[in-house]
Amino acid sequence: MAEDTFLADDLLRQLMSVGEVDLLVGISSHGNAIAVSQAVHAIEQSFQQEFIRQRVVIVHVDGGDNDGDGAAAAGLSALAEKDVRLPGRASLRTVHRVKADFSSPPSPGIALHTILAAADLLRARACAVISTATSNLTPGGIANLLRPVYQGKFDFVAPLYTRHKYQGLLARNLLYPMSRAVFGCGIRELYSDEWGFSGRLAALCLNQNVWHEEAIRARPEAWMAISAISSEFRCCQAFLGQKSQSTKGSGTDIVEALRQTVGNLFWCLECRQSWWLDCDKSEPVPTIGPDHELTSEPSDLNRHRIFEMFRSGVTELEPILSSILDPETHAEIKSIASLEEQTFRFRSDLWVRTLYDFAASYHHAVINRDHLVQALAPLYRGMTYSFLVAHSDSSPDEMEAESEMLCVEFERQKPYLRERWKANVEVKS
Amino acid sequence: MRQTILQALEQAYSNLVHMIAEFLPRFLVMLIIIVLGLLVAFVLKHILRALLGLTKLDRVSEQAGASRVLRMAALPSMTELLSRSVFWVTWSGFVLVGLSILGVPGLQEQISRLFRFLPEVFIAILILFLGLVTANFLSRTALLAVVNAGHPSPRIFSWSIRFVICILAISMALEELGLARQTVISAFSIVFGALMLALAIAFGLGGQDLARKSLQRYLGDTKKEKDKEPQPL
Repeated sequence: MAEDTFLADDLLRQLMSVGEVDLLVGISSHGNAIAVSQAVHAIEQSFQQEFIRQRVVIVHVDGGDNDGDGAAAAGLSALAEKDVRLPGRASLRTVHRVKADFSSPPSPGIALHTILAAADLLRARACAVISTATSNLTPGGIANLLRPVYQGKFDFVAPLYTRHKYQGLLARNLLYPMSRAVFGCGIRELYSDEWGFSGRLAALCLNQNVWHEEAIRARPEAWMAISAISSEFRCCQAFLGQKSQSTKGSGTDIVEALRQTVGNLFWCLECRQSWWLDCDKSEPVPTIGPDHELTSEPSDLNRHRIFEMFRSGVTELEPILSSILDPETHAEIKSIASLEEQTFRFRSDLWVRTLYDFAASYHHAVINRDHLVQALAPLYRGMTYSFLVAHSDSSPDEMEAESEMLCVEFERQKPYLRERWKANVEVKS
Repeated sequence: MRQTILQALEQAYSNLVHMIAEFLPRFLVMLIIIVLGLLVAFVLKHILRALLGLTKLDRVSEQAGASRVLRMAALPSMTELLSRSVFWVTWSGFVLVGLSILGVPGLQEQISRLFRFLPEVFIAILILFLGLVTANFLSRTALLAVVNAGHPSPRIFSWSIRFVICILAISMALEELGLARQTVISAFSIVFGALMLALAIAFGLGGQDLARKSLQRYLGDTKKEKDKEPQPL
């Protein structure tokens, strides 16, 4: 078995003592005792309220016991047992807790690999992964990730959130429309801290020989979703409530966010090319609960700085952009970069062509791939500026209509991506 | 007297004939070795070119930035450069072996000195090449980092890094060749020291405001500046 090679003996002993389960929830933490305590509390409440008769287990993958997490976790079981019991709705089953300790903080990929191996070994039917970085996940939210798999026979459940209208612009303007056009499945939150999946998807992913890849180690969730889509597994989205500000990870660091998500998406395009190059379908994904929601509190974004960073980036990175972009696309970008701030607009067709050029250049590896993804940052800022100006007074419905038009533009230009992807790139000498 | 002169002439003629008789076969052997070397070098060049074409070395070289360095130096692609190098190295080796067969004492000494010097030349070329590739890669890394951080004058950072690494690579290559060792070390120390001093003075005196802003940004109020962009995820 694959798991024999990397699961520690202690973890195997714990898993064997659990036996088979119906539901498994995996948590990955880096020694944050309070966050782990809150997450375990929410999971146990969810089990008590929603899954009384099911056999359940919590798998906690932890590394770096640097703030007393070990002590906290040791007392966690008793604490949780005591606090969580609800009058009249106590679970008929024991909530098993399994802890996988790593000497150093495990990467998200290693944590997921451990959780998948545990799910496979315990024959779990429905699983969910949650992160301690999101502190406001409710018991209802956890149930929303597990129920579609356990009762609805779905294989992958992506989350949906309530967001501020300027939050998640990378997902709105790039990750969602591009993944929808390429893979034909409109999952809005391809990169998230929590998601649900079936035991059979876990088994499928566990047997893939990708776990050593850097892209998987950093952000495995999109690859898992794309594996489900390309294997014709059923996917859906479930509403989880307000999207919390992640306490760890990329935050507002655009370059880091691009590396983790766009770099990862381009890598997924590369490893699934045999599937998507011949795929023309585009199917909506069922949504369970309310659709995603937008709020519009005032914000103090510095638009001028964003525009200046776009303009200086286009000027300073000209030699790099010329090796990535098609000459016509590059000329158009230089042309819009010379416009006044008031008249500037990044057209959606140009944005789509730019991204497809980047994806094809990533595939052909025209320059170092990490440099290529970093070179996208100024252009993303240009698109962000254009979006902020265009939607300063837009209602959520208007923004949704605009987002749909962008998705259609990505789908319309997919033949251009195919053409550039398959083109023989001459290496100039 | 006359008899002696005739004998001397006969002796000289005999020596000349003997020398020619000895030299001609050696000369022919030398020519055969050189022609054979030409054929071997030609075949090796084509085999290597085909093999490197299969391994897509040019693409790797493009990614690493080595091709750009070669283009700047008006050199051909990496595959072509390596296959041509193999051709010339192989053929030069055969030519030198051929020349040594002639048995000219002074020439043999020079050839053996050249053979002893060849490894150092190759190492120097390798150091220079790796230095240029590293300079190119790191200067591009710096350019992207400075542009994306929104700092002014990113090209100055990028070019400074490229310049320092190129100077370092050139001085290491000359050091390997043993050319004016003391002069090279002194020149490098002076150039590097002067550059650092100039940067320190320029940053400290000319750019007091910039220094203050940079230190504030790095040490203190970083969040305020960053939070003015929307959260991407």
